[in-house]
Amino acid sequence: MLKMTHLSKVYRTEVVETYALRDFNIDVKEGEFVAVTGPSGSGKTTFLTIAGLLETFTGGTYHLDGIEVSRLDDNARSKIRNEKIGFIFQAFNLIPDLNVYDNVEVPLRYRGMKGPERKQRIMDALERVGLASRAKHYPAELSGGQQQRVAIARALAGSPRLLLADEPTGNLDTQMARGVMELLEEIHREGATIVMVTHDPELAARAQRNVHIIDGQVVDLGEDPRFHAHAARAVDA
Amino acid sequence: MNVQIQPILAALKRHKAGTLLIAMQIALTLAIVCNATFIIRERLARVARPTGMVETHLLTVQNRFVGTGATSSEPLVKADLATLRQIPGVVDATAINSYPLRGGGWSMGVQTDPDARKAITAATLYFADDHAVATMGLKLIAGRNFRADEISWQDAQKVEAPGEIIVSKALADKVFPDGHALGRTVYIMGNARPSTIIGVVERLQTPWSGTFADNFMEHSVLLPIQLTGAFGSYLVRTEPGRLDALLKTVPAQLMKTNRMRVLRDDTGVRSFAEVREAAYKTDRGMALLMTVVCVVLLAITAAGIVGLTSFWVGQRRRQIGVRRALGATRSDILGYFLTENLLIGLAGVVVGTAMAVGLNLWMVTHFEMHRLSMVYVAVGVVALLLIGQGAVLAPALRASRVSPVEATRSV
Repeated sequence: MLKMTHLSKVYRTEVVETYALRDFNIDVKEGEFVAVTGPSGSGKTTFLTIAGLLETFTGGTYHLDGIEVSRLDDNARSKIRNEKIGFIFQAFNLIPDLNVYDNVEVPLRYRGMKGPERKQRIMDALERVGLASRAKHYPAELSGGQQQRVAIARALAGSPRLLLADEPTGNLDTQMARGVMELLEEIHREGATIVMVTHDPELAARAQRNVHIIDGQVVDLGEDPRFHAHAARAVDA
Repeated sequence: MNVQIQPILAALKRHKAGTLLIAMQIALTLAIVCNATFIIRERLARVARPTGMVETHLLTVQNRFVGTGATSSEPLVKADLATLRQIPGVVDATAINSYPLRGGGWSMGVQTDPDARKAITAATLYFADDHAVATMGLKLIAGRNFRADEISWQDAQKVEAPGEIIVSKALADKVFPDGHALGRTVYIMGNARPSTIIGVVERLQTPWSGTFADNFMEHSVLLPIQLTGAFGSYLVRTEPGRLDALLKTVPAQLMKTNRMRVLRDDTGVRSFAEVREAAYKTDRGMALLMTVVCVVLLAITAAGIVGLTSFWVGQRRRQIGVRRALGATRSDILGYFLTENLLIGLAGVVVGTAMAVGLNLWMVTHFEMHRLSMVYVAVGVVALLLIGQGAVLAPALRASRVSPVEATRSV
């Protein structure tokens, strides 16, 4: 589903070259729930932005759902983001001027989907996250947990092949975070492929597999139970 | 490009102040610019009206004899005309009480029934001689010119209507709508004596450039009468290319003939071009002022749109990034801002159209303006919408270049 091979991302200024990712390899299979962990500045977010086609990379290859994405132009990348990827951001990133219904509708409109189908998908997605009754509310009228649920509904509405979550519970209190995490687990059980970047070892522990990034490189500890303790130490450090 | 009107409207509802401000600005600009353009066009049309004369080869002389009794000017005028007509480069010259665009003259009612209480129309009276038609370069389209023996010298205080007159076609058509004016008689100057129309010239304007003569702008009568008196005008027709030189020769020769006169430096001897320039100075000034007002207004409106859109783009950078992350292409983002502006613009021009018509109606009642042609409003609407789209283009392009990675930046 998501395969990066010898991928690198270099930020160049006049004086220095900084490797955000170096010889980065990862292979996420269809239906997997992978947590990507690592200390601040390790390259987690860079990995996520490249995986989500929000940013280009410098070297190596990246196959998403069988497509080599490095040669795609901006429009093709927009189309893939729209059709294959669902984003869940730490800051929810709902559009404040639009109500819940219109927010969920945004990616569907960019897909050029017809009205009745859009409506069906929006209502299904909102049902799925338990917020169908809040369709006419504006983001500011919802709690953080509800806003993140709307964002998840927005990500799900387009039936993406891959869900990318960036610290999805980072801005939530424990109870709301638990609710959101349970929702993600449910979605995974229903067959979705999820890649989640997180600081939180407890959250990471609930994923199927953990990928640890240090200094822009992957330390894949697989499903080895010893990893969790290691990851926790690494994050604490 | 996916154009999304409904969500754009929904978002605009949350930004009422800015939206209303720009829409009102567009509406006001449309109302003012439409009416101003209409006034400009009216003024320019007024300025462009032809006098019927060969203006490029005409010199005007405004003369005042000093130390001469009002009734004794006949030999002096005859001497001046003889002098003028023999100057090399002069085609012909005439003595006339006034001429088009001079600003002052003699107007009277014209009627076909001497007992009628109300004249058919007003007309200007030009007291001229048999050289007037040739000097002014008027086009005689029917009948004949005056003969030398028909010219009489009369005191301005007690003028007798002449037996023969030449009229402009506009006057002929007004008084005799059947088109047969030649040989018919009319009563002018409230006189009981009829005058027979012996000639019709294609066009001859009255001396007034303002709105006073708007209803009889081309109603002119040439009378074979020379008025005695200290004041008088001469028109001098020159050969092509000789006008500039004659501007110096003519006053010199006139002074040589008779020093007992005043030729003012500013208005004494002028080319007709200068006369036209002076006559329409206010109109051209008004047209220029209105043009400046229009340009400034349009510039302010465009600047307002650029300002507001730039502000909104800055404010929505993250939102634009999110939209890009969710699959919006660059042209989707560009289209979003263009559509948003178009919607505001449409609201503005709808209100503006009503305001333009209202403003015009108000001016029609208070300032004798004409009714505004809807063509001006239509052109104004299209122009303002285009200006709006042009103004929004730069900030919208900037918005379309916002990277999708903006969505992941922390707040």
